[in-house]
Amino acid sequence: MENGNSQPSHGHQPNDRVKLNVGGKLFETTQSTILSGGSESLLAVLSNRLAHDTDPVFIDRDPEIFSVLLSLLRSNRLPSTARRFSKQELTDEAVYYGIESHLRSAMSPPPFTGIDASVVATVRPASDGHPSAFTAASGDGSFWIAHGGQISSYDWNLLHAATIRTHLDDITSIRRIWSDIAAIGSESAAGLHFYDISSDRLVGSNHWTDPSDPRIYKARVTAIADSPSSVFASFDCPHKENSILVIDKSTLQIASHVGRQPGNSTKNTVPGKLTWLPEKSVLVASAISSGAFGYSGYIRLWDSRSGKMVWETNEPGSGRSDRYGDSFADVDADAEESILYKICSKSGDLGMADLRNLGEDPWVYLKDKNPSMRKTSGVGSSVIHCYGKQVFVGREGSVEVWSRVEGVEKEKEEWEGLYRRNYVDKVEDSERGIIKRIEGGGNRLFVSREDAEGIEVWETSHSSNCVSVL
Amino acid sequence: MPPFEGSATNGAGRTKTDSNIVTVDVGGQIFQTTKQTLSLAGPKSLFSRISVSHSGPPFIDRDPELFSVLLSLLRTGNLPSKAKAFDLQDLISESQFYGIEPLLLNSLSNPSQFDAFNLEKSLVLPLNGRNSPSTIATTPCGSVHVAHGSKITSFDWSLRTKSTILTQFTAIDSLLAISPSLAAAGATDFSGLQILDLQKGIVKESLNWENVTRSSSTVQAIGSSPELLFASFESGRRNSNSIMVYDLQTMSPVAEVGHSEIYGADIDSAIPATKLNWVSGYSLLMASGSHSGPSGVLGNIKFWDVRSGNVVWELKEKVDCFSDIAVSDNLSGIFKVGVNTGEVYFSDLRNIDSYNPWVCLGDRRKPVNGKKEGVGCKIESHGNQVFCSKGGNIELWTEVVMGSSKQSDVKLEDRVFRKNLMGRVKDMGGSKITNLAFGGNKMFVTRKDQQNVEVWESSGRGF
Repeated sequence: MENGNSQPSHGHQPNDRVKLNVGGKLFETTQSTILSGGSESLLAVLSNRLAHDTDPVFIDRDPEIFSVLLSLLRSNRLPSTARRFSKQELTDEAVYYGIESHLRSAMSPPPFTGIDASVVATVRPASDGHPSAFTAASGDGSFWIAHGGQISSYDWNLLHAATIRTHLDDITSIRRIWSDIAAIGSESAAGLHFYDISSDRLVGSNHWTDPSDPRIYKARVTAIADSPSSVFASFDCPHKENSILVIDKSTLQIASHVGRQPGNSTKNTVPGKLTWLPEKSVLVASAISSGAFGYSGYIRLWDSRSGKMVWETNEPGSGRSDRYGDSFADVDADAEESILYKICSKSGDLGMADLRNLGEDPWVYLKDKNPSMRKTSGVGSSVIHCYGKQVFVGREGSVEVWSRVEGVEKEKEEWEGLYRRNYVDKVEDSERGIIKRIEGGGNRLFVSREDAEGIEVWETSHSSNCVSVL
Repeated sequence: MPPFEGSATNGAGRTKTDSNIVTVDVGGQIFQTTKQTLSLAGPKSLFSRISVSHSGPPFIDRDPELFSVLLSLLRTGNLPSKAKAFDLQDLISESQFYGIEPLLLNSLSNPSQFDAFNLEKSLVLPLNGRNSPSTIATTPCGSVHVAHGSKITSFDWSLRTKSTILTQFTAIDSLLAISPSLAAAGATDFSGLQILDLQKGIVKESLNWENVTRSSSTVQAIGSSPELLFASFESGRRNSNSIMVYDLQTMSPVAEVGHSEIYGADIDSAIPATKLNWVSGYSLLMASGSHSGPSGVLGNIKFWDVRSGNVVWELKEKVDCFSDIAVSDNLSGIFKVGVNTGEVYFSDLRNIDSYNPWVCLGDRRKPVNGKKEGVGCKIESHGNQVFCSKGGNIELWTEVVMGSSKQSDVKLEDRVFRKNLMGRVKDMGGSKITNLAFGGNKMFVTRKDQQNVEVWESSGRGF
């Protein structure tokens, strides 16, 4: 278990004992525990330097928080005593000792499963609390909310980090393209703008102009997506001409145009949603509009390198489709699994198409096997989002998840039997307002609602959250 | 273990190997105990390795305060009151590190601590999503699996952690816990009995009954004995049914009992068993099923000798048929709730040959008319008591032992049963109870349209 008094010449053994005096309280641990926090941490450096001193290393910090963090290093989990301290205190202290990543992995939620999730927080910005857009694209559970011309950033701990004011009054699209840089656009003001959140300033702007066509001016951004090297933004001119602009991510300069179109009919309106799929470098652009005769729109796949269209579908399509009159209400692509999902506006069914094998009619429709959920069909507003190999659908106010049953291997033709549809929320949750947007990131699901302040954060928990009723 | 063993300490001249005292340094704090105390932790624990170590007090790089709690547990078998300063989850993970979780479990969720008179509603386990529990299954250590919709949520023995898996069922009607991580599940609208690995969320095995019509075979009930697994199957066309017997270890079919094919309008044999109970005192399988038809509710109760495949005793129910049935080994009796009267009836297992074996324990004067007061009532036996749900309330039936005469001398009519309503006033009523189950020192209750599980616990040394 221990090595007694190791001689200085021996170097450090993992089981060498380390004595620490934190704020007057003595702690004793081993070299391996200290080093599990990373060799760069303050603890590792301190204990290294003074390992062979008989006197314990003195650290002038609070001993109680230290005992929590020492427990974390020893057992990889936060003890219940951590609840005596705020998340901010713990994080600050962990940053001081250089073991923030350790704390982060212990405090982060487990993998998100829609069948077992609950609201853990509703994050409300202090002023103008109705989010106009948000992004959780960093994937570490942090997110940025655009609200009333401001951008508020929240860290992985859901703690408010910063708020900046932009020159736009209504940000309708936001995308985090670098760790500090947000690309924003508005449907009421021209241009794509880049703001540095940490230094609180505008670092670049892009406008769509065409020297040969003077009508291309004051184009507004309707959707933003990004790849590791480029930012894609769909621009829409006041006279409806539209195009997707490809912007170099490092120089923030326009590199190319994709799919310029006149915009005079629903088959060539500006895309309202852009998704980049890394596997084939394909950009998915979709435009959906709803009118008196139901939904209509298109999905197009663009090769982001050549700028050529790979595949397209229009709905309502030809009358030959057995789903004629049941066109999509929303579309999303699962980049992980290369599957395109659409939600049917009338039946409420989920259609899926294998992106690797697209054809004339690639859709497979997943039918609802759960009799208790049938009544939800034919609702007005639907949003769809793929996250963690699950498909989340917001219908009016309720969130449902289509998840795959594990361990069943079947042919593609039988896909529909593999999926189960379940509600993520409870009836009370659905009464908070119509869902505007769902996005997943960092094992969290973020939901914004029409006329509701703030953003709901959903997490899966291994804790039973049992309630004492004695 | 002797509390005062010698006076030798490490500093003393005596060699340590002679001493019975063990000194350990946990996180910088010195603890002293005896070898006997540490040996109580069992051969698999970390302590078994400590006590054989050599020079100097061994150092364990863990939290000393949690260790002192667990040392008290080793010494006395009970948690000290200062343990309440910690979360149970802290103690569990620490006990797992030292390899003494069984001791902790034993002190907190031991079935012997179950006290029916002392049960109070103490916890509510919330379930996510909108499905109410359809069925629940418990293990003897007090963990519980809850089927709601197509999902199964499993709570560990401490009821502090949970995990949820998705199944192929749309709804699960029968669930049985084989081990804390293995369960058998079936549904009346799904073909086959599935053995599910609840940790990985996968189907380990799918058991099917090959019926004559080669249609699907749905599962009506699941039961088990210490060695066997029983499943009541009905063919998809509902014209044949059978009880399959599987080996609980290998899941291979061992026998088939009570196979019946239905020709014509023979309603009686058309009734598949919807409850399977193993009666260990008699080594018999109780199978009961009922059918609601134009002439009222008909049912039958059969006791099977699984080895020979014969019915040992059969009771046909025509008047005030059971809506649920329970067999108690401890009381050697069968209990039923009458579907019409809603009253509890008792029949002595030692005296079941008589023409009408039922003795009404409740209101005997209640006429059997068209009313169906007993519909949906659940009856379960656990320990020396019988629990019967009526609407939102639970009746607790207990036998009162009268006089000094031995039980065997007492005539059936003389056995005295009395009932009580369980719970405090605030816990009574509520939505209709859909499931009653027992595990560890707890009772689990689910109610209609409630997305949670109530836990009733015997108060005492609990956490």
